[in-house]
Amino acid sequence: MSGDLARARAGEEMAVDYSAIEKSLASLWRNEGQGDNALTRAALWNVVAHTTDSRDHSQASETLARVSEAVPQRSIVIRAEMDSPPAISSWISANCHRVNGNKQVCSEEVAIVAGGERVRHIPPLVNALLIPDMPVAVWWVGDLPNEDHSYVETLLDVADRLIVDSARFDSVDDLVWLRQIAERTFTAPADLNWMRLEDWRVVTASLFDALSMRRRLPRIRSLSVNAAGSGQGLFGESIESLYYASWLMAQSGSTDIDCSFQLDRGGQDGGLAAVRMGFDDGGEATIHRDTERDVLIASVDGSSQTFDCVTRVRGRGVDRLIVRQLKRPESDKVFVRSLPLAMQLAGQVRGS
Amino acid sequence: MTAAVVPGLETNPLREGLDQERVPDASCLVIFGASGDLTQRKLIPALYSLAHDGLLPPGQTIIGYARPEYTDEAFRMAMREACEKFARARPIDEAIWENFAKGLFYVQGEFGEPDGYQRLRKRLEECDQSRGTGGRRIYYFAVPPLFFPTICEILGKEGMVTDPERGGPYTRVIIEKPFGHDLQSARELNRVAVMTFRERQVFRIDHYLGKETVQNLLVLRFVNGIFEPFWNRQYIDHVQLTVAESIGVEKRGGYFENAGITRDIIQNHMLQLVSLVSMEPPVEFEANAVRDEKVKVLRALREFPAGREEQMAVRGQYTEGSVLGESVVGYRQEPNVDPNSKVETFAAMKVFIDNWRWADVPFYIRAGKRLPKRVTDISIHFRPAPYPLFAKVKPPSNILAIRIQPDEGISLKFDSKLPGPTVRTAPVTMEFRYATSFGAEPPEAYERLLLETMLGDSTLFARRDEVETAWAWLDPLLESWAGDGRGPAPYSAGTWGPEAADLLIESDGRRWRRP
Repeated sequence: MSGDLARARAGEEMAVDYSAIEKSLASLWRNEGQGDNALTRAALWNVVAHTTDSRDHSQASETLARVSEAVPQRSIVIRAEMDSPPAISSWISANCHRVNGNKQVCSEEVAIVAGGERVRHIPPLVNALLIPDMPVAVWWVGDLPNEDHSYVETLLDVADRLIVDSARFDSVDDLVWLRQIAERTFTAPADLNWMRLEDWRVVTASLFDALSMRRRLPRIRSLSVNAAGSGQGLFGESIESLYYASWLMAQSGSTDIDCSFQLDRGGQDGGLAAVRMGFDDGGEATIHRDTERDVLIASVDGSSQTFDCVTRVRGRGVDRLIVRQLKRPESDKVFVRSLPLAMQLAGQVRGS
Repeated sequence: MTAAVVPGLETNPLREGLDQERVPDASCLVIFGASGDLTQRKLIPALYSLAHDGLLPPGQTIIGYARPEYTDEAFRMAMREACEKFARARPIDEAIWENFAKGLFYVQGEFGEPDGYQRLRKRLEECDQSRGTGGRRIYYFAVPPLFFPTICEILGKEGMVTDPERGGPYTRVIIEKPFGHDLQSARELNRVAVMTFRERQVFRIDHYLGKETVQNLLVLRFVNGIFEPFWNRQYIDHVQLTVAESIGVEKRGGYFENAGITRDIIQNHMLQLVSLVSMEPPVEFEANAVRDEKVKVLRALREFPAGREEQMAVRGQYTEGSVLGESVVGYRQEPNVDPNSKVETFAAMKVFIDNWRWADVPFYIRAGKRLPKRVTDISIHFRPAPYPLFAKVKPPSNILAIRIQPDEGISLKFDSKLPGPTVRTAPVTMEFRYATSFGAEPPEAYERLLLETMLGDSTLFARRDEVETAWAWLDPLLESWAGDGRGPAPYSAGTWGPEAADLLIESDGRRWRRP
């Protein structure tokens, strides 16, 4: 099987019997110590990516290959095609990268494609493939299927975390379901859209680090959030703005902030462009994105001292967002706290 | 006058859940000795990397103070070059640098002349107004210890030291090692420091404590439940600590002639490691609670037997040899080194901690220059199984090895049955490597320590009694060596020290582990 190992390390997918995937993986690595002492297998997470078409499947596979360089994991990429003939097939491959010069670190990837009624067999099959004692993240690629909660919930039975990207949500019902998962299950919901917001949260927090500014936090009276989207009025593109406002309200304890949202044409996913906060003393704090330098710049006018906070905008690529998500071992209480407010605010977004 | 905090806003609620939940208030960090190597290689690059990661507060201000004439702009340019060479966060990010450089200033002055301090005070007050630093001061003494008394005295006289307990904003002072040359000089330094500052204002940097792997020692021991039950004399046979450097004294021959490896490495770094490995669990993870437990270990170190020190400690000095494939000169041929020098470049000791947990468990420690490779390593050697169930199997020595640097990680060695019809065993290891599991490069030790000083948390800094207790234990040995005309035993560069170091451990029926 040493030839198979070389093929797997080269990224080649090898078809295997789906009832013996674990055995095939064990066989793949059996000779690792003999030919190449510098090879190490590692895993900190089980990551199960759920897709429904071949385009999402290949993108998820490529994304997790990049993620595994920062967070070694066993990746299980599922493609559930309800409209295809009833069949299951599977492949294995390895994602390898070098660390410290020579040492090669590899993570395993399993691909499962199921069609028709065989899709129902996916959750138990995934169950059998999880590395024991390692946390499990289910990454739901695309919109949540509101018509089929039970299938998702079966898959989530073993999950410590559910990762979604609300930029692809089509209605507020998806947020409602996310909240229900947080309240009713042991699975912690996580949203890549929330991770995209993190640079904005950091720079906003920096504004209020000084004691003089912290005192003004409960005195925010108005909030204006500008974001840039495709201009098609997609619900998912408004969620980053909603999260920002709901986070500020939840953490500051001020629910009587007058919020306004503007979603303009010119972006891809509803990323924030500018924020303005008005205080009851007439003062104002602003944050805007300097697109040329790719930094966020915040400043405060009025009675307080003025100096800039500059925060580098980190990558918004899905792989980087997943890495940041997986590097947090605990559930995100702030996100869960902000969700209900985000749902209440939905509907206030205006488009241009 | 400290401003009142609104209830519920003692900390910034917007920080909850972010990577950096605690961010310090903006302060003025004054570096005395800003034209020196430490500032350029470590301090400014560390501060820039903190800024890059968004960990410095807006308005944070850094003022260099030294003898050479510089304008603010020239100082910024020199510091930028330093960051380009030495910062962890490279290449330099223009937008971040631009904002960081706005908070960089320079004041020219002599360490002993009040005029310079008056200029410094004026600049500090300007920054309080323009950058919101609120009178908060951190003085970093990146200067030789002989300047400490003068700087402390003038800072005090010029009214540049304040304390919240006396109604003002905080002032903190960071002191670099060496913390004295012996017990007497350490006490004198501490006496001078506390004439101007209170002990809680003094942050003594031992950069080993800023290393992720050193901090992980506490996590390994006190977060995981599996290790602590075995962490005592009942299960542990002995402990080994090695701090090996492949380099020689390089340009530090003059300094090293007055120090030697014992003062340079063992008195501080190695005794910190010994303390962390052997301390009792602190009642909480708080500066004094942790340091109380470390001091108890130092107090329990068994004294060297007077007149028979060689039974417990050996020293060596490297001669010419070969390290990593290169021919190298002996210590006495290094620049600024006395050709007849008797300064030790290697030391090994057998150390006992006389308390209930560690009674009669030897800690073998060794440190040296021009050893085969650079490595810092701690290994816990467990006792063999009490009864040999398999007659033909030699009881293995299970080893938990903690690699501090490089290739940081932890491994556990144990025996496993070789496949086959007869019971034969072979040692195997379970390994954890930081780079493999976590990928990202950990922050530099100075980044963590500077941030902790700004936050006012002294857990990772040496306390006065730690420093003095360590000297009190080592002083008799150093005095004995100073009076012993035989000097250190020679060892060839590129070897693991003199033969006497092997005999020290082999006479107990044990061997040095090859790290």
